[in-house]
Amino acid sequence: MSVKTAENYRSATKPTWCKDCGDYKVLDSLTAAMAELQIEPHSAVFTSGVGCASRLPFYMNTYGFHTVHGRALPAAIGIKVANRERTVISVGGDGDAFSIGGNHFIHASRKNPDITYIVMDNEIYGLTKGQNSPTSHEDLLTKINPYEVIEDRINPVLMALSFNTSFIARGFSEDQDQLKDMIVKGIQHKGFSFIHVLSPCTQYNKKVTYETIRQRIKQLPKNHETANRIISMEYAMTHEPLYMGIFYDISRPTLLDKLDHIRELSMDEIGNPSEYELSDVIKQFE
Amino acid sequence: MVELVIRIVGSPGDGVISSGDILTLATARSERYVSTYRSFPTEIRGVDQSLYQLRISSEKILTPADDVDVLIAYNERFLRDNISNLKSGGVLIFDSSENNSKFEEYENVTKYFVPIKDLAEKFAAERTKNMVALGILLGLIPNLDIREQIKSDIQKKYETKGEEIIENNIKAFEIAYDWARQNLPQAAFLENLVIEKSGKKVVMSGCEAMALGSLVAGCKFYAGYPITPATEIMEMLAKELPRLGGNVIQCEDEIAAITATLGASFSGVKAMTATSGPGLSLMSETIGLASMAELPVVIADVQRGGPSTGLPTKTEQSDLNLAIYGTHGDTPKIVLAPINVEDSFYQTIKAFNYAEKYQVPVIILSDVSLGERRECIDEFDINDIQVVNRLKPEKLENQKPFSRYTKTYTGISPITSPGQEGGAYIATGLEHAEDSAPSSKPHIHVSMTEKRFKKLETAQEEFLEARKYGHDDARFGIISWGSTSGPVLEAIDTAEKQGYKIQALYPRIVYPFPTKWINDFLHNKDILLIVERNYCGQFANTIVYKCTCMNKNIQIHNLMKYNGEPFTTKEISDKIDQIIKGQYLKFTTRQ
Repeated sequence: MSVKTAENYRSATKPTWCKDCGDYKVLDSLTAAMAELQIEPHSAVFTSGVGCASRLPFYMNTYGFHTVHGRALPAAIGIKVANRERTVISVGGDGDAFSIGGNHFIHASRKNPDITYIVMDNEIYGLTKGQNSPTSHEDLLTKINPYEVIEDRINPVLMALSFNTSFIARGFSEDQDQLKDMIVKGIQHKGFSFIHVLSPCTQYNKKVTYETIRQRIKQLPKNHETANRIISMEYAMTHEPLYMGIFYDISRPTLLDKLDHIRELSMDEIGNPSEYELSDVIKQFE
Repeated sequence: MVELVIRIVGSPGDGVISSGDILTLATARSERYVSTYRSFPTEIRGVDQSLYQLRISSEKILTPADDVDVLIAYNERFLRDNISNLKSGGVLIFDSSENNSKFEEYENVTKYFVPIKDLAEKFAAERTKNMVALGILLGLIPNLDIREQIKSDIQKKYETKGEEIIENNIKAFEIAYDWARQNLPQAAFLENLVIEKSGKKVVMSGCEAMALGSLVAGCKFYAGYPITPATEIMEMLAKELPRLGGNVIQCEDEIAAITATLGASFSGVKAMTATSGPGLSLMSETIGLASMAELPVVIADVQRGGPSTGLPTKTEQSDLNLAIYGTHGDTPKIVLAPINVEDSFYQTIKAFNYAEKYQVPVIILSDVSLGERRECIDEFDINDIQVVNRLKPEKLENQKPFSRYTKTYTGISPITSPGQEGGAYIATGLEHAEDSAPSSKPHIHVSMTEKRFKKLETAQEEFLEARKYGHDDARFGIISWGSTSGPVLEAIDTAEKQGYKIQALYPRIVYPFPTKWINDFLHNKDILLIVERNYCGQFANTIVYKCTCMNKNIQIHNLMKYNGEPFTTKEISDKIDQIIKGQYLKFTTRQ
């Protein structure tokens, strides 16, 4: 097997993203991370929902499942359970992840599948030309909220901490080396890893630009205790400054560990597990 | 055919369902055919009755029957509610522990007033009164020798409840049997009743039959969300799939369940989910994704009364429109409707075969009455059952991207799964070209829509003709689908005894719509009766809309039932009678 470079993970399809979209840089960090890990393209699967960020699987030469809006995670779980050797990565935007697909994020965290979830957050619905998303700032007026915004924004990292997601990090699409390292660590992490990426939309959200993000962000201290959920929550609480880095990294049984354990328990009930077959199921009804 | 129909009624907590289940299993184990009907209130401990009906027969049967030979009642209210179904000359067993009524007004039945509850206290414990009732029942039918089976089924049923409970139940049953032999006068027809054995069989519920069918078809992944009455499928698979090398996961909602199932299928594994009406509504969008991305998936829908939360424990056939038309866009899929428990088993295997072969979602429409009733399946050899797997590419070239949606003569394109080198592609819900690249070009949408529907045309060539019953030269035809077909066929037998020739058609593939079969069936019919359990006549409407034979002067009648209960044979016979008599009157006036 030949050594793979970042370019080897790209398909011939040209992204449909706007000029200067943050997602280009996420795509680059992602392919760099895969090259660092030397993952075989045909062994990787990307899943996504619907939205600008969810188009990413088309730009990879791996397997991909571009599902319907909000459903990247349940598809990824089905794939990982049924085809456990694969590297499974889900991608999407803030609306896909935290609005229509919000419920799945909670329950993926509970199941802890060995999946990496990269959410490209531009604080707006871009594909539908600019509506407020669950992470939009309260003073962002759009055509569907022309006078005032009703809802509070959510805090994705704090939310993930409350669900005990086993790996949580936040990066900035512009800080490509840091983001690449986070993705590498996220993929290597055994369990559900969530990477929240600030990835500006230069077209529809004029309030969140590369410049405003640069001013907002601050790195987590080098000695941050990533196993300490309370301290991580304290850092996650603030919007200004917005801390960057790996917030949380713990080890707990993955979905596949649990399913393997269930398999063992199901075998305990029967005399000779190696000989258990379909006819034994039918016998129960005779 | 020799048969016996027994009905047990009581309040929830009287143990009606447990004793019915035990009697059913024991009877099937003794190599006799059984068909059952269970009904219990929505609330776990409501005020409504629990009812268990069991028909035992020497030959294959189509329904749990309308009227009963033996009625066991634990209280007066439910006795009165059910007495009209007790046949003339039948046997009534009433728990007289707390009620001395003699029910003089009920004539032509043999009455046994037995203090069932008091005897249970005396023999073992009050809670064993359902076993005392079984003991008394079998004491009256000495030739139905299933006492050993009953004891072993009590053992199985209460396995998790501890030795004492098992012992008490067996003791109550045995003492009650002896007590009945010594103390109760014989009822002649029961005393002499001999129901011949008819070979080995398995017995299970419609839901279990679907679960077993999925295992035989090679299902290795199930994701589901709890919903009455489909949960029984998940329960069985949760127990069996892990040790057969598969996995079951519980999801946060039906949307996640179908999407995870589809993910597993994309991954190369046969996968299923099961639900009921509300869940099928939620799954609709992803069923469209399966159709668009051409991924095999099987969805079992155990229909209940709707719309909305509706009647969760009552039966209806009102999800047909949802199953066929429920997804936005032009969505090729296959919808199957098994008619009984045995058919539920075989149709589930077919559902997997069709899903795999044609890369489409396949929906199986069962319903509460079918999913929950227990019936026999004749002994079968797994090796005789055909199992189909998806079409794989002959060879893959690593250099160029895999063309996943290549157009073919059949519409079916070879499919890869993650891990296969040279096979990488994107499955997508966007319209796409043959190489899966998204495209909204007019000619692409036209040709790919046609490609996807081409698969249904190909499929229709292999579908066997819809089942027919009765005489080919009958001028009176009945069309039914799903579990309604059982009582329809029995009504045809009844009509034949009265000298009427009627023929039934009951397609098990309800979509693609069986236009040709229905046209063929109707070419020599003057009268058509369409029978189904919904208000709108969902199947009937499509027949009228689709079938060209409607142009001829055919008289159409509908029989719709939507009270949450299955059809009785009598209801269909009455309708037949009404139609025929109407015809006769018309005929005579014209004279």
